[in-house]
Amino acid sequence: MKKTLFWILFFLTGLAVIIAYLFIGKPNTNIITQVRIPRLLLTLFTGMALAGIGSIYQLMLANPLAEPYILGISSGAAFGSIVLGITGFIMLMPIGGFIGAGLTMLLVWKLAHHRGRFDKTRLLIAGVIVGMFFASGISLIMYLHQQDTALILGTLMGNLGHIFTKNEWISFLFLFSVSLLILIYLYFKSTAIDILSNGDLYAASLGINVLALRKQIFVLTSIVIGISVAYAGIIGFVGLIIPHIIRFFVPSGQKNIYLLSLWTGGIFLLACDMLAKHLLSMELPVGIITSFIGCPFFMWLLLKRDN
Amino acid sequence: MKKIVYVALIILAMFVFSCKQMNSKAKKGIVVLSPEVAEIICALDAEEDIIGITAECNYPSSLQQKKVVGSFSVIDKEAIIALNPELVFCSSLEQESVALDLKNLGYSVEVIYPKSIMEMLSAIERIGILIDRKEQATKQISQMKQEILNIKENSIGKTRPKVYLEIYRNPLMSVSDASFIGELIETAGGDNIFPTLERDYARINPEAVIAAKPDIMICYSQDTLENIINRKGWLNIPAIQNRKIYFEKEINPDLIQRATPRCIQGMKQLASIFDSWRKEQ
Repeated sequence: MKKTLFWILFFLTGLAVIIAYLFIGKPNTNIITQVRIPRLLLTLFTGMALAGIGSIYQLMLANPLAEPYILGISSGAAFGSIVLGITGFIMLMPIGGFIGAGLTMLLVWKLAHHRGRFDKTRLLIAGVIVGMFFASGISLIMYLHQQDTALILGTLMGNLGHIFTKNEWISFLFLFSVSLLILIYLYFKSTAIDILSNGDLYAASLGINVLALRKQIFVLTSIVIGISVAYAGIIGFVGLIIPHIIRFFVPSGQKNIYLLSLWTGGIFLLACDMLAKHLLSMELPVGIITSFIGCPFFMWLLLKRDN
Repeated sequence: MKKIVYVALIILAMFVFSCKQMNSKAKKGIVVLSPEVAEIICALDAEEDIIGITAECNYPSSLQQKKVVGSFSVIDKEAIIALNPELVFCSSLEQESVALDLKNLGYSVEVIYPKSIMEMLSAIERIGILIDRKEQATKQISQMKQEILNIKENSIGKTRPKVYLEIYRNPLMSVSDASFIGELIETAGGDNIFPTLERDYARINPEAVIAAKPDIMICYSQDTLENIINRKGWLNIPAIQNRKIYFEKEINPDLIQRATPRCIQGMKQLASIFDSWRKEQ
């Protein structure tokens, strides 16, 4: 009974955040429909994608430090979109991000194989190395193009205030729907991922095509992360910690963990974006807020559990 | 063994004592690292004293013949030392560390970074004293003061259009009244829609632009008219409805971003934009 009440409250809090996000500060209808709803969708999607995929990676790679960015895809996407941004193609930045993510994904996937066999550790190392490579590329661009520091920092610290033109909005809606379908599809793979986390042999003995499943998940998540970074930049913390927080309350069962991660990640990012917009009269990068609030909360949870 | 130590010590001593300043020639000329100061020096008829500039010092165009010692943020100190100037003018921000290094090397360095019209006028006075053009400086200042007074009088009692200045598109950035450009807008008779921000140049929330309903938009963010019109939710902004959007080709950013005598010209252009808006009201 108490548990049900807790979850109802949890869900209602989320709804309250959504309503507050849309209506805070008495905006007129034009602002709500043209500015806030697009931003709400982008924020919810980004938070959901990061936390949901984080929960999958942590389980699949059997590594509590795994997060959507650890495979270097975010740095590749950021690099791609920054290159287009500084060369004057600001409108095409999402496409650059997408291409960057795709190329990084292929490279990391190739590096993760040793004599044709997939190796978890190699995947992580490859991800970190490729990520570092692109990060230094971004630093180089930042050093050479100091007039574009704002754009680069916006991509590195998260920027949910993307201003859509009408055409951009249509292409975003399309990519958003694709991502949503992928996230739904991944939900139905939860049980298989759970089984996979017990080892390849065990999973294979239960009739799961391990190689195909892993490849599929890797490609699909990369697409979603690429889209998210292309529009919102790199937002730290959400993908790493939200799934851990969920596991404090729901220790096992990827199906539930995944769903709750999606919901909590989205709502958490919405709340952080609201703060980023209203804390000062100038807008703060949302990536700073997520870590600044999330980390102390996670420390508190850790201490509490020890007691 | 002892001998080797003695010889080594003697060689070391020779190195140490040979490290005195080799360049004993008299220092001469001015190196300017800040485009603003370069403009001011030229306005005070001292262009011939300048021996080195940075790549950004592009006005007056005759400066191009001078030796370039790097760009605004990446300065080649050795090139400056080779020129052996009597005086170096730096700006603030990323140039401060260069200023310190050059001071340590024994050069006289002057940091000038005016952030308001008043600071610009006193900077002109100070530069005039330093480069021995005191008379020209006094003349320039009184002339500019008169012009500023005229510009201010022109807008007294008239409606002030709300002005939105976009300096960056992604993320969206604008200026506060505390910035030089913000002060020029106010002086020329406009009303900046972001009077107070935590920084002179800061990231802003796009909703705030829509809510403020600016009458005039100055766009330095390299965006195109077509894109601005198509931004979601921006169509109701008066500046966009009435196509009161001005780009770099209509008003040169250097005229209003740089604290130099040319800002008078910039303010006049702003004032005429505001006047043409008033006529349509």
